[in-house]
Amino acid sequence: MPEVVIPIGPQHPALKEPVNFKVVADGEIIVRLELDVSYNHRGIEKAAEQRDFVRVVPLLERVCGICSHSHTTVFVKGIEEAMKLEIPRRAQYIRTIVAELERMHSHLLWLGVAAHEIGFNTLFMWTWRDRELVQDMLEELTGNRVNYGINEVGGVRRDLTPALVKASLDRLPYLAERIAKYTAMASKQRTMLLRFQGVGKLTEAEALKYGAVGPTARASGVDYDVRKDDPYLSYPDVPWKVVTDDHGDVFGRTLVRVGELVESTNIVRHCLENLPEGAIRIQPPRAAPKGEVLSRYEAPRGELVHFIRTNNTDKAERLDIRTPTLANWTSVAVSLVGQNLADIPVVVAAIDPCLSCTSRITIVDPEGAETGTMTWDELRAHGIRFYREREGI
Amino acid sequence: MAAEGARAARGGEACGGDRVKALTKDEVAKAFEGLGAVDQPRGNRIRLVTTVDRAREAIGRATTALRCDHLIQMSSADTGKAFDLVYQLTGPHRTVVSIAVEIPRDRPEVPSVADLLPPAGIYERGIHDLLGIVFVGHPGLKRIILNEDWPEGEYPLRKDWKPDPAKFYGGVREGVG
Amino acid sequence: MMTLSQRLVNWARLKSPWITIFNSGACNACDIEAIAALTPRFDVERFGILAKGSPRHADILVVTGPVTRKQALRLRNVYEQMPDPKYVIATGACGASGGVFKGLYHVVDSVDEVVPVDMFIAGCPPRPDEIIDGVVKCLALLKEDLAHGGKEWRRKARAPPAEAKPAEVTA
Repeated sequence: MPEVVIPIGPQHPALKEPVNFKVVADGEIIVRLELDVSYNHRGIEKAAEQRDFVRVVPLLERVCGICSHSHTTVFVKGIEEAMKLEIPRRAQYIRTIVAELERMHSHLLWLGVAAHEIGFNTLFMWTWRDRELVQDMLEELTGNRVNYGINEVGGVRRDLTPALVKASLDRLPYLAERIAKYTAMASKQRTMLLRFQGVGKLTEAEALKYGAVGPTARASGVDYDVRKDDPYLSYPDVPWKVVTDDHGDVFGRTLVRVGELVESTNIVRHCLENLPEGAIRIQPPRAAPKGEVLSRYEAPRGELVHFIRTNNTDKAERLDIRTPTLANWTSVAVSLVGQNLADIPVVVAAIDPCLSCTSRITIVDPEGAETGTMTWDELRAHGIRFYREREGI
Repeated sequence: MAAEGARAARGGEACGGDRVKALTKDEVAKAFEGLGAVDQPRGNRIRLVTTVDRAREAIGRATTALRCDHLIQMSSADTGKAFDLVYQLTGPHRTVVSIAVEIPRDRPEVPSVADLLPPAGIYERGIHDLLGIVFVGHPGLKRIILNEDWPEGEYPLRKDWKPDPAKFYGGVREGVG
Repeated sequence: MMTLSQRLVNWARLKSPWITIFNSGACNACDIEAIAALTPRFDVERFGILAKGSPRHADILVVTGPVTRKQALRLRNVYEQMPDPKYVIATGACGASGGVFKGLYHVVDSVDEVVPVDMFIAGCPPRPDEIIDGVVKCLALLKEDLAHGGKEWRRKARAPPAEAKPAEVTA
């Protein structure tokens, strides 16, 4: 397919979320980072106690619009575990296909965002354009581009026809080709290398000590991946590998995510080609027996955990969610100490935060006197300017 | 090189080393001897039930004798009668080791473990915001989840909490012009 | 009668509106679809619409999310920073009524409790093409308002005060 260069204006909106941090900085060097994540708190855990298993699923889907399938899957499989329900294999495969497609769309999104953070807007446009193919697949398979609504306790809600399977399989070769291109870019493109290498470095010991999860941890050689450690859905049936790297910096995290894109493409292909026959759901009982379940899932950003207590009713008595981004924040704060202000956008983006960003960053000098406030856009522009002056990129 | 050796010891197919074996209930019971009862709710989940004052000791043993190096979650719940706190840990053995304590409602205090497990720093702040459990010894139990206008002493995730119509919980006070 | 410079400004506003996206505590689905509208498949820039980070240069404020308590005041401030004439589009079910989050203890429950909203776009989330459609319809609104000299003509007239009822006479 011929390459098309897309003309882009110089400005693009900051992506996403209201995370507030206070940066204590000595000139350009960061001394400490303080965090406040209340912008996005809505009160979902409390609401989950008042909605039955049918009504709570659409709510949980919207904990996060990027990894919505992760939240619903980890919840319904937890409830199925509490109910000691064995769901049909075909349903497991369909859930796996959607889960890996979600991982692909999320990693492509991330690649675009990371590129945008360093001013490499062409890559942003390319990855998001290719991401649309994944969205098309998701839309055909589940009915929606985002918030797929495919899960329910007992199975999935929609089936795949042979025509759909074929249409999806036909898209995969092009995606694989594009992903191969991004893999090459990630390891050779000069701007990316300069802005990503050596930045936000976490050793393996630090990644473990500060509780990092997902690609952030795997880039430091920590090979935890819930799909292998606590297997669920159809992952045991499919040949695939955990992707790790030992650079430990943002460059490593890029390599891990691109590697995972390749693995996910293969998992989707395998599942589509080997879809077992049978039902897509079984009728669950209305109430779940009294119990306690720790349901774990490898979301695109890392390990997602739902702690669920059931009590013989049709509602969860307690739902305690720990998102991967919360697990990764401590490592961000740690890995930014001693780095430049200009590195903040890249390091924060590297954990792929899933909150909401209008990011207001307060800069405070070590004596505590406030020296300025910056918006995320200003910080990004500062980062791009800083490296342009220093390295001529 | 050290990193290579470390990864081989941790196991995992990616590097081709032998996987570290999963823990058995007996191994866990032996490591936690004297701290409380150990049970195994299902494969890959082994649980110790202990008391608030022995929690730190249990965590110490989990991170040393049982080689747990990853804090998955600090699960919390309000049972109505008391608060339950469960430290969920795992390690190269991939077994989830849970340490469950019950915290009395009239004195919701438990020693902080932020010094033993750094991620707990954030988790404890969140639990404090929502359930009002005090983590004694935490370096700074400031608000992290609720907005700055949220009144003191209101813990929304408690079973008996209802919003008080007389109080202001944050947001805008008057309507749109 | 509009001066030439006024007509020029109005033309520029219509031909190249700048929008700013404000996330008031959303799950991000609307934000991602709004940003997808900028990418080649949907390409909102062909309408001359540019997304700017700063509210001080924006004509249209696109708000996503159900407005958490933390963001409410910030949303109000962002709205006040925008120069007139300004328009607010509330996206999605959250923007209209709080969506699935309605009634939860940390949300204020819908954008129009915090800032006046000119347009709601339905969906959860609305597709990028639906968002573009909403913005284009908002531009049509902008054009009408410019012709009428502002937004005032759209405001509903206040109901006249109820007539005082004569006191009940009981025999």
